[in-house]
Amino acid sequence: MAHSRGVTALVSRDQRRILFAVAAAILLFVIGGLVRPGFASLNSIGAILSIACFVGLVAAGQTFVILIGGVDLSVPWTLNGAAILMMSSAASSNARLPWALLLTLGVGALVGLCNGVGIAVFGVPAVVMTLAMNGVLEGLTLGLSGGLTCPSCAAYAPPLLQAAARGTLLGIPAILFLWLAVIVVASFVLSWTGFGRSAYAIGNNARASFLAGVNVTRTTVILYVLSGLFASLAGIMLLGFGSQASLGLGDPYLFQSIAAVVIGGVYIAGGRGHYVGAVAGAITLVTLVSVLMALNMPEYGRSITYGVIILALLLLYGREADES
Amino acid sequence: MSATTAGAARRPRWSHLLGQNAGLALAAGLLALSIVVYCTIYYLAQRRFPGGFELTTTLNNTMPLVLAGVAQSIVVLTRGIDLSVGGVIDLTNGLAAISLGDSAAGMLAGSLLVLAVGALCGLLNGVLIAYGRLQPIIVTLATLSIYQGIAIRVLPEPGGEVPAAYTAVLANTRGPVSLVYLLLIVAFWACFRRTALGVGLYAVGNDASAAQANGVAVRRTQIAAYVLSGVFAATAGLFMAATSTAGDATTGNGYTLRSIVAVVLGGVNLFGGRGSPVGAVFGALVSAMIVNILFFSQIDPLYQSFFEGLFLVIAVLLTGGISRFMRRGA
Repeated sequence: MAHSRGVTALVSRDQRRILFAVAAAILLFVIGGLVRPGFASLNSIGAILSIACFVGLVAAGQTFVILIGGVDLSVPWTLNGAAILMMSSAASSNARLPWALLLTLGVGALVGLCNGVGIAVFGVPAVVMTLAMNGVLEGLTLGLSGGLTCPSCAAYAPPLLQAAARGTLLGIPAILFLWLAVIVVASFVLSWTGFGRSAYAIGNNARASFLAGVNVTRTTVILYVLSGLFASLAGIMLLGFGSQASLGLGDPYLFQSIAAVVIGGVYIAGGRGHYVGAVAGAITLVTLVSVLMALNMPEYGRSITYGVIILALLLLYGREADES
Repeated sequence: MSATTAGAARRPRWSHLLGQNAGLALAAGLLALSIVVYCTIYYLAQRRFPGGFELTTTLNNTMPLVLAGVAQSIVVLTRGIDLSVGGVIDLTNGLAAISLGDSAAGMLAGSLLVLAVGALCGLLNGVLIAYGRLQPIIVTLATLSIYQGIAIRVLPEPGGEVPAAYTAVLANTRGPVSLVYLLLIVAFWACFRRTALGVGLYAVGNDASAAQANGVAVRRTQIAAYVLSGVFAATAGLFMAATSTAGDATTGNGYTLRSIVAVVLGGVNLFGGRGSPVGAVFGALVSAMIVNILFFSQIDPLYQSFFEGLFLVIAVLLTGGISRFMRRGA
């Protein structure tokens, strides 16, 4: 948790990491504006932030579970399955939207519940449980939709959902309001509630928090449920954004969400960090890709530069304390 | 049981060995079980038992996963993880397809070049982790992207050529030559784990600061583990090129997660210090058997990953329970 070290330190080490991530994002926008005029225009920034929103939503759940020293590898097919379930259950109709929404989010929560119970109650390592869950969901999604050939798989996202994901409100992409709401709620929960404090406590030392009266099992399960919820929410919004779901839709979001969380200064072994950092991390990553595209860099060059810059950012501020 | 010296009941040697290698023993048991189930289902479907042809094909197709599992297990032993395994396989597989000459010397030089590139990839991971003081998961996530990028640069489109003689050596379709390679891996590990470096791997994985206090060069050991992992991943790339007789700079991608599955099924503890790459060999073979079993049970291939995932959880729950029981009971 944040506590300042000495009078000279105006901000704690953890807050400094968040500030670095924000600075990296701003710097990338400036670089983008220099190489391609109009890159830093309001429209372009809005477009980049909308894309970052999908990474950011997934990263919300990922932040929660990484805070307690876990990880959620089931993100890709939770997201992909949610998008396909939403598409086929809403069947292009606005009238069915609310029920489809409830159903899809419910399934997302159920996935998280299974993960959480497997990890917290049965003691399966988080990596194994969520990796296996990813396979289970992949098989179920492919099998039940017949490899996306089922009759209802030809549906489109309801117009209302498309408007929510692609439209603007007061000149700002509507989806950013959703993200803002998630940021506000997640920050409030992490910083000002007992639940948030329990999460940090578990991440720092699960046994000590158990002895101190924290309900470790319940908190862990709830955090994984939240991760499932956020992954399915991202799937729903991606469906609205692209109007149809495809297979493999969720694949990029596993590594991107973890990278966003870590670049945002969340300690991968748990106990330290904040969602605000992960938000900055998500924006940094997506802006980076946009800058590289603006430079007309070929795919292999983008892939290499992407890796190098992540490493450079981490070497700059993500290093652990020297123990030796 | 009779009390021996100092009143403490001494455990028989076999019981001690079993307790030490609970993960390995369970992985072997799992493999035996999956082979029995496979043979039964195969018999029910085909009215005969699988023979040399099935053995050869299965082994040839599984060798890349076996080697990827070994690569992953070595860094997992040090309490690390290598997500770049898939990227190294991409890169080395692509490189093999364009660098293997037609002559024996050319093939040897090409293979050595590929292995050196794998070692270099591992070295970069290791140095960043040991001296950069960065978390393995995020370093190898970043280098995964780098290696994948280089792989696409090396071989933009699937193709290249692997000499037939090379395939005949690494992935011979006439007989189960791969058994020799499996034995070589086991022999290598049996020797390696007795070296100072091999002992150091376990020490670092169990408790890095205690290892440091006892004179283990922690950073050098970590770097060595990643280099070794890179070399094994490169070997996987070579075997993959030999099996498919061409290169593809993207087929390795799936091997990152599959190698972790092999490690888990092989009874290697994900938190370091316990298990063996030999277990990962068993784990890789078990996952190959599961695919075979599903195929012959006439299950819709679309559901394949569903059953693989389900099996992974059940296997981990079962082996976790049994090994706890063994350690307590023995």
